[in-house]
Amino acid sequence: MSKRFLKTRRDFVSTGAAATLFHIVPSHCLGLQGQTPPSDIINFGHIGIGGRGRGFLRPDANLNQPGPAAPNLGGDGSRMQRPVRSLALCDVDLKRLDDAASRVGGKPRLYKDFRKLLADKDVDAVVIASPDHWHALMTILACQAGKDVYCEKPACNTIEEGRAMVTAAERYARVVQIGSQGRSQMAAFHAKNYIRNGQLGNIGKVLCWHYASPDGDWTPDEPAPPEIDYELWLGPARAMPYNKKHTHGQFRWLIDFGGGQIRDRGAHVMSIANWIMDCDAKGPVSIDASGDPPRDGMYDSAVTMHVTYEFKDPDWTLVWAQPGETSKELDARYGAVYHGDKGKLTVTLGDGQATATEQKAKDYKASIDGVKVFQSPGHMENFEDCIRTREKPIMHMEAGHRVASLCVLGNVAFQLRRKLEWDWKTERVVNDDEANRLLSRPGRGPWSL
Amino acid sequence: MQDRSEFLKAIAGDDIEARFEAWRAAASQDSSVVAPLLDLAASPKPGVAKAAAEALTTMVHSVGKDPIDPRRAPLVKALLLRPKPLTFRLLSLIADDLHAPLIAHNLRSADLREEVVYCLERIPGTAADKALIAGYADATNDFKPRILAALGHRKSADALPLCLEAMKSTNPDIAWAATRAFGRIGKQAAVRFPQLDAWNEWQKTDVLDAQLRYADAQAAGGNSEEAMNIYKQFLDRPEEHWQCAAIVGIGKIATAEAATAIYPKLKNPNRKVQITARQIWQQLARA
Repeated sequence: MSKRFLKTRRDFVSTGAAATLFHIVPSHCLGLQGQTPPSDIINFGHIGIGGRGRGFLRPDANLNQPGPAAPNLGGDGSRMQRPVRSLALCDVDLKRLDDAASRVGGKPRLYKDFRKLLADKDVDAVVIASPDHWHALMTILACQAGKDVYCEKPACNTIEEGRAMVTAAERYARVVQIGSQGRSQMAAFHAKNYIRNGQLGNIGKVLCWHYASPDGDWTPDEPAPPEIDYELWLGPARAMPYNKKHTHGQFRWLIDFGGGQIRDRGAHVMSIANWIMDCDAKGPVSIDASGDPPRDGMYDSAVTMHVTYEFKDPDWTLVWAQPGETSKELDARYGAVYHGDKGKLTVTLGDGQATATEQKAKDYKASIDGVKVFQSPGHMENFEDCIRTREKPIMHMEAGHRVASLCVLGNVAFQLRRKLEWDWKTERVVNDDEANRLLSRPGRGPWSL
Repeated sequence: MQDRSEFLKAIAGDDIEARFEAWRAAASQDSSVVAPLLDLAASPKPGVAKAAAEALTTMVHSVGKDPIDPRRAPLVKALLLRPKPLTFRLLSLIADDLHAPLIAHNLRSADLREEVVYCLERIPGTAADKALIAGYADATNDFKPRILAALGHRKSADALPLCLEAMKSTNPDIAWAATRAFGRIGKQAAVRFPQLDAWNEWQKTDVLDAQLRYADAQAAGGNSEEAMNIYKQFLDRPEEHWQCAAIVGIGKIATAEAATAIYPKLKNPNRKVQITARQIWQQLARA
């Protein structure tokens, strides 16, 4: 199918002109012969197609034979995928780009510079799976370009970035889903259904646990491989020589690019906690952190950390313990235990692996007049539904920002080694000049908010 | 508290645990260790360089909370004497109005200017704005957009005349950066937004976004007439997302004129425009 045809088809149908020219439209364009009409297809552009991003690619051959939703993205397994085409692919690593093109098949449009993908009028929505330091700018520019956005977690690296993303999504009325897919897992649904219907009484504490981060080593810097545009990889982040131990798959151990386990897995576990505790539009009033950074080596994110967040109205405490006490009920590498005055409940993981909760929550059925909890059909499916309905998805931008704020503030308190008093309405730290400066980060070169 | 020489010896040594203990406790050191630490931060031994940089960071964090902490001024002064990229990263956290002109002096260094702008961009107060504006005059054309971006990010009202002048530039990157900054500053000015053929798609989109940001700021500031004029232009654009943005913006004005402007979009053939109009219409009805 030619680019020219794709470019005009959607406008053609949406303006109603199709009715007058009905006789010249080929049958496959109208969804006959078992094919999906082009106007029903969502054209995705994928930005960042390495490790995580690869999992979102849709083989071209499956377009008219959609399979079940990807299990790691939640849902109950009953939902079939919508017709989605991976129309355009983008990566600063040309080897990865080539590999992704082979996986997709057909003739996807290939870009090294995401701005050119955003300028592609045929792309309806983008999936952003770049390193974390790019999430904010890419999301904002995608909204400006009229694309709906599925952006991997954590939403952002600073508080200012997150707020700017919320503003962009609202300004352009775009659907933005942040990739904390744990919310779309059945275990999270069962847990929220159980807890919001009072089975644990009032929740006073949520204890998250996670194993420690790597210390890192002193792998020497080297010239960037020719297939990687390292300057574009860095983008708004601090300039530093290329090192394979801080780029693909390893970026999250540096605060400039990632932010450690708390911004990685924390954005999953604490996303479920915020959802269950109805805190998608609010935040804690204080954050206190302790722990150890790497004693040596090239990384700077926490090896161990213990962060305590205090919430008010209702009063409860969220703890991120790395490492921490694991659940006695369910064995997992990480998760959270919800402590109420009538009992406790464990929800493990949250990133879509084997997310689980206890049998008592799975068996629980709310009464007819009980609290109704939204059950996601799957994280990507929920996003695709919202592209159609223009409703807010389960992990909408404000929710993503509030969860990322927990991660960011945990790191700031850890770095500064002092307790922060947080005004979540104004999003400022009370009486702490330096902490407030750390809520934003100037850009670099042509990249700024 | 470690003795100064023992402290520096530990930082410069090969014992990882001793280095770690020293840099974690560096808050107790005075500013006399800054110069030797900056030297050690350039050590070819990466563990030593890390320990020295972490020690300096610990010292900065220890005085960062309170702007009038008596240890802060001597620390800033000691850092200012040794301009390096690391210095400006640290100064970005604790320097203030008084230091902005001294920091801006280093904008002339091609090796340091990116870090200098980073530093000034983070310093609260108008002195940093003025220092950036002064530095703009001497900056090379390739760096002027970076300074404009910093001023826009800071929403510097003082930079308005500079932006208005730079928007007329025939250099597309300068005109783009100035327009972008103007939109972010959001102060009213009699201006026509430039449209340059030389801009790429991304820059053209950015400039339209700047107009919307400007309109949003006008609406928020009570200047709904100026805001409506811009939103109405966007309502007439063919692309659905610019129409949606205009509808969202108009919805914040919440007047009869706003409702009248949105009304025709309730039956717009584009589903996204129609749904956005309905959502905003309902919002207006509730208001």
